[in-house]
Parts: sequence; C-alpha cells; structure tokens
Amino acid sequence: MSLLEIRGVSKKYGSNVVLDNVDLKIEKGEVVAIIGPSGTGKSTLLRCLNLLEKPEKGEITINGNTYNLTSKSAKEKLELRHHTEMVFQQFNLFKNKNALENVMEGLTVVKKIPKEEAKKRALLELEKVGMSDRLYHFPKHLSGGQQQRVAIARALAMDPELLLMDEPTSALDPELVNEVLLTVRRAAKEGNTILLVTHEMNFVKSVASRIIFLESGKIVADGTPKEIFEDPSNERLKAFLRNINMLEDPDNYVI
Amino acid sequence: MAKLFDGALVFTAIPDLLKYLPTTLFLTLIALFIGLVLGLIIAVIRINKIPVLSQLAVAFVSIMRGTPIIVQLYITYFGIPIALKYINYYYGTDYDINGIPGIVFAMVALGLNQSAFDSETIRSAILSVDKGQLEAAKSMGMSGWQVLKRVIIPQASTVALLPLGNSLIALIKGTSLAFTCSVVEITAAGKILAGKNYRYFEVYCSLAIIYWVITFIFERILKLIEKKISIPDEAPEVVEA
Repeated sequence: MSLLEIRGVSKKYGSNVVLDNVDLKIEKGEVVAIIGPSGTGKSTLLRCLNLLEKPEKGEITINGNTYNLTSKSAKEKLELRHHTEMVFQQFNLFKNKNALENVMEGLTVVKKIPKEEAKKRALLELEKVGMSDRLYHFPKHLSGGQQQRVAIARALAMDPELLLMDEPTSALDPELVNEVLLTVRRAAKEGNTILLVTHEMNFVKSVASRIIFLESGKIVADGTPKEIFEDPSNERLKAFLRNINMLEDPDNYVI
Repeated sequence: MAKLFDGALVFTAIPDLLKYLPTTLFLTLIALFIGLVLGLIIAVIRINKIPVLSQLAVAFVSIMRGTPIIVQLYITYFGIPIALKYINYYYGTDYDINGIPGIVFAMVALGLNQSAFDSETIRSAILSVDKGQLEAAKSMGMSGWQVLKRVIIPQASTVALLPLGNSLIALIKGTSLAFTCSVVEITAAGKILAGKNYRYFEVYCSLAIIYWVITFIFERILKLIEKKISIPDEAPEVVEA
C-alpha cells in the first residue's frame, strides 16, 4: 500500500480552478518534486494536504488512515496534520523563540515529549543541519539560509511520515540556496518521504526520485527525472522546459 | 494675613490619604484583570467573526468608548440595583440590593470600560502576528488553543504592552471617579479631609504627588516587563564546535 494516496482533490478560488481532480500516490521513501509554471496550483496542492487550504473535494489516505479533506471536524484536521510537517518558503520560524526553542516547540507542545528528551532530539536535528553553533540565536539574528535550515530541523524533529516542502529556497539569496539544498538532500538520503515544490531544476534532477509536472491544476506528466528531462513526450512539458532553458543544455545537470 | 498656603500640610496629609491606597490599588488591579480577560475574549470574538457575538461586541465597544466613564459609573450604580429588583420580583429570588458594597459597582464599571479599550489594542496586536507563523504552528498539529497560547499571545503581548500600559495608567487615575459609587479611595479620602480642614488646594497637591508616584512605579514595572519580553538586539556568540 502506498504511504500517501490522494483522490479527486479539487480547489477553486472564485471561478478560477486551481486544482482539478488531482489523484496522486506516493510510496514510502520517495522524493517527489512538483514542477510547473507559476500559478498552476503546486503550492495549493501541498497546502491542501495539511488543510492550510480547504479543497472543495478530495480524500487522502496516509499511512492507512483515510480522511475526507472537506470534513469540518477539528479533531480530524489535527489528526491529519500530525502525519505531515511542512517547510515554508518564508521559513516561518517563531520569531520570539531561539533556534533550539523553535525545534523543541512541536515536540513538547504537540507530541508532549518531556523537555529533557525534546532538547536532546532538537540538538541532534540542529546538528544534522549544521546549526549547532547558533542554538540560542533568534530568527532575526540568522540569515535566510540558516533560518531555513532551522525550519527543516524543526520539521524533521517531529519525525513526519511525509515532509512537505513549499519552495524552500525561493526566498533566499543565490549564495544561500546551496546550504539549504544540501540539507534537503541529506533529508532525502536519510529515507524521508518528501513532496517538494521547487524551481531548482538542477536540484530536482539530482535528488528527486520522481517528478510531477502540474499545469492548470492537472498532473500532465509523471515520471523519473530521466523521463521528464531527457525524453519529455508531452508537448506542454516540453514547452515549459524550453522556457526555463532546461531542454537543450545537458551540462546543467550537476549541482 | 492668615496663612494662604500651608506647605507642610501637603506632606503631612499624605499618610492619612495613603490609608486608602489599598482601595485604589485593589480597584485598579481588579479592573485591569477584568479588562484584559474580557478584552481578549472580545478581540478573539471579533477576529473570528463569530456571528451574533461579534455584532454584540462591536456595539458594546462603541457604547463603552462613546460614553464618559463617570456616566457609566452612575448607570452601573443605579442600574444594577434596579435590575436586581426586577430579578427578585420575577424570579422570586431574594438578593440583598443594599448589601452590595460600592466597590463592586466601581469594579464592574471600570473593568467593562477598560475591556472596551483593551479589546481594540489586543485585536490589533493579534492581527499584527505574522500569518506565516500561525500556519507553521497549525501545520505542526497545534490546536487552536495551543496556537493562541504558544504563538499568538506571547508575540501579541510584546506589541500590546506599551498601549496597554497607557490604558493601565489611565485606569489608575480613573479610579478617582469611584466616589460616585460611594467608594472611598484616595481621592475621596482627600475630598473628605479637605471638607474638614478647608485646605482643598493642599490636599489636592498631596493627591497629585501620590498619583504621580504610583504611576511612576507602574511605569518602571512596565519598563522591566518590556525589557524581559523583548528579543535582544545583539546576536549571541557563535559557538565553535
């Protein structure tokens, strides 16, 4: 059985259809990247999975538990959110808490883990993202890249079944992108299941095990990086890749 | 010429007046508490646009802010007994109307008045908390209450502290109107004292000194809290691994 299965997710903003009956299955350990032109519902799809956006229609099965995404029950909403963690474009660290407290917050408040143990776990996660030297820095003392690494540690500390990453490097200065990508790559290598929206095509090529091309709220192509980048059969995918100069430049592969 | 101004009395009257300081402080703290709790509730109701309650809250805030506090004190003082009489009449209860101490009316009126102003401060402070952090807290799986307690209140209080401090200082001085509900706090005690010795100017000078000192102390306390809850400007040292 798949780790994640979503069926018929549809979302409209007014009369604008953002997601049109999207079905998707993700296996445990997969790193799935969603690519596509802006405004095609990539982020919305991610945000529907933890109900930061409410779809009009749709159902999700995660690790054997099925939830109706339109359910009004607050309890079900919380339960669903306990399966996933999200990393945001704007980091969204708690500004009044230092790096260590940010990572401990979910552990102590949501998972009710005793403080001492939560601290141990937080220290370990912060070490993995290379932030051990700035445990007591507040977000305003950290660069964007450092903040995002703390945010990734915060998400991974919760041991999510599925990690959702919404353009984790889009808000960063170019020289800070790599440190975050390395962190994501490590998280992928550790066997985390990741669903990622990104514009970093070279990164996608080297890290994703599977790529989904979303356009106008529909999954238009779904395949391995090789299938998507080297032999795109779909015309719209081809046009998109040509637009972002990813089609005829094989040297662009390595990060 | 008789002594026009008795300078010494300004200071010798202070101990007599200070006997009533506990009443002033008690009234202030209770009204502060009612104001903050009710203000938070009103703010949450309005932000979440809870039907009916939200409209009632808007009307309440508008009325409380649109009428003088002294009128509110009189309305409470005369209104609550009338309401109780009706309740006694229709429900056969036996509430003792004359048994209610004046300070209760003053606490209710000042507390409600305070809540109307505080609710607007709290509402704007809550709305100032970055939405992204709320999303982060929700996506972590925090319940609405946990988000409020762990993320919204700590951050909104930093924003709200200074304006709430303003409102607290106004409240300290507002308690001087409680005499209308026959509460003897320091201002009332001063009026009574001056009524005996006809030294109105001196006694009011004493009162001015007392209020200023109390306010000054509260200002220092607020400053300490502000320092405690604000995030340090300087980054801590980077620890070499």
